[in-house]
Amino acid sequence: MVRHFVWRAGLGSCALLAGLMLVMGAMAHEGHDHGAPAAPPEATLAPRAEATSADFELVAVLRGGTLAIHLDRFADNAPVDGATIEMDTPEGALTARPMEPGTYVVAAPFAAKPGAHDLAFTVTAGGTVDVLATTLTVPAARAPAAPRATPVALGLLGGLPLGLLAGAVIGFLAAIVLMALRRRSAALVLAAGLGLAASLPPDAQAEDAPKPPVRDAAQRLPDGSVIVPKPSQRILGVRTIVTASASHARAVELPGRVVPDANASGLVQTAVGGRLAPPPGGFKPLGTRVAAGDILAFVHPSIGASDLKDLEQQGFELDQQIAIVKRRYERLSAIQNAVTRREVEETEIELKGLQTRRATLERVQREPEALRAPVAGVIATSDAVAGQMADPNTVVFRIIDPDRLWVEALGFSPDVGRSGASGRLADGRSVTLAFLGAGMSDRGQALPLQFAVTAGFEGLRPGQFLTVLAEAGAPRTGIAIPRTAVVRGANGQAIVYEHVAAERFVAREVKTEPLDAGRVLVVAGLPPDRRVVTEGAELIDQIR
Amino acid sequence: MIFRPLASALIALPLLATPLLAHEPGTGAHGGVRVDAGHYHAELVADGTPAVSLYLSDGSDKPVPADGFKANAILVVDGKAQRFPLSPAGGSRLAGTAPVAIPKGVKGVVQISAPDGATTQAKY
Repeated sequence: MVRHFVWRAGLGSCALLAGLMLVMGAMAHEGHDHGAPAAPPEATLAPRAEATSADFELVAVLRGGTLAIHLDRFADNAPVDGATIEMDTPEGALTARPMEPGTYVVAAPFAAKPGAHDLAFTVTAGGTVDVLATTLTVPAARAPAAPRATPVALGLLGGLPLGLLAGAVIGFLAAIVLMALRRRSAALVLAAGLGLAASLPPDAQAEDAPKPPVRDAAQRLPDGSVIVPKPSQRILGVRTIVTASASHARAVELPGRVVPDANASGLVQTAVGGRLAPPPGGFKPLGTRVAAGDILAFVHPSIGASDLKDLEQQGFELDQQIAIVKRRYERLSAIQNAVTRREVEETEIELKGLQTRRATLERVQREPEALRAPVAGVIATSDAVAGQMADPNTVVFRIIDPDRLWVEALGFSPDVGRSGASGRLADGRSVTLAFLGAGMSDRGQALPLQFAVTAGFEGLRPGQFLTVLAEAGAPRTGIAIPRTAVVRGANGQAIVYEHVAAERFVAREVKTEPLDAGRVLVVAGLPPDRRVVTEGAELIDQIR
Repeated sequence: MIFRPLASALIALPLLATPLLAHEPGTGAHGGVRVDAGHYHAELVADGTPAVSLYLSDGSDKPVPADGFKANAILVVDGKAQRFPLSPAGGSRLAGTAPVAIPKGVKGVVQISAPDGATTQAKY
């Protein structure tokens, strides 16, 4: 019976205590929220103020009596370097000194006093002058963290003695409860500890309380928006664009392949079979720039054993005939008065013809064929090995002009891409294309289309695959944003991050359609005249 | 019991509506640009001469006596910031003289200190 009563009393006290905890916690929260501006002042962020104008975005962060001023361009979020910033406070004007690109510091003795401080920043950067007004709110005292609210609150109930008393009461009640559970030894230790913890003076607890971190940490708020402090934005390289609605031509994606320009590339082939030999200076390595007509290799025609015998036979025959005709010619020349002139001349012509045939027969065996570059360009492929036997029509070298390349794409209509096209490579680079022509015969139920690469040759090589985005059909109205701005949300939806305040980003679900190699068209989910993150969106998306 | 939340809602309704109205810069009674500055409306009148006037009124556009107020104007003129003080000049008017002529529709900020020490700023 007695035990039952004690148990009840213990429970009741605990309930009372819990109620007190709740009340104190709630009160502390109310006070914290009161008078807060639209952007929630995060407990883990240093006091800060932000101001924007048409040109600039400014964030001033108070830390250790110094105001760090982060100045960025409003539209693209790029840091503004080399600016002069004068700060007007009710106590007078101060000039900030540059610390690092886009960051300026100024001493802020006035900020030691809690409350709202009206600040006006006069920014001079290049030829632009702007006055930005903002209010820096310095919190009166740091609100205690939620888990520690109760002991401190107890201490505050009526000064230290009452706090100690409350601690003792808690310890006592806890001891009763635990002893009722017949765990005396453990109960004593626990009760002593609990009583001590509860009765610690508030100062000692305040020391234990988490101090504001040295660095402001990026964080995702419960409402899904992301707070990225300016220093973090600089590290992530966050850049934005201001969205604008415009009319864009519809684009289709086609598979394509880089091919050499037919007028600026060539093959070096052997005309006769033979043995390859290097030109003076040796074979040129891959990538060597050659001019049209440069000798790249020699082919020494090879003659088979039977052919050689035939030639030999032919040579002997010719030699024999030459000897006979020569003797006859000499004889006729000696008795010119006895024979007709016609006879002598015929013999002479016959002799000369035989001698020419003999000389040619000899040259055939000796003279190599020179392989010349048909066009100017670089050596793209080379199969030349000294002494290699090449068949007739073997491709020994392939010459390509790297600045003149074509793209062959497979499309389904001969009209796409006539007004403009671009290509996107697997690594994200893009090239500009100009329509050349469309084939008439189907290839794999698709129509081959040829485009000339007009810009973006760097690193491009024949054989590479790319996606050709060809303009087709009626134009559409929408907001064009870079592909890098669109990220996949955790649920698989395409989202973009809108820069709503200086340090606040909000995810927006969007519907996109392909536009060109570098951009997509947002057709739903994003109004114009908003700032959208184009660089660093992936990194912002990863902030939890 | 139901009247209490209803009454609170009715009281809160203008609170929702006023910020939208108050933040819209408009033309004031003296032909200048009137903006919202804390508890007040501040109308800046510049007419192309160095003389600049600031008229103070309350939330319902009733003039507020300017006695005891102080103001500091930072106005951007021809790519340079001009700073000069404004002092009470009778009625709800604060007057000051700038080093250069101030055109109509000038951009800048006026910091206003009330007699009770409260400060606010008006952005143009």
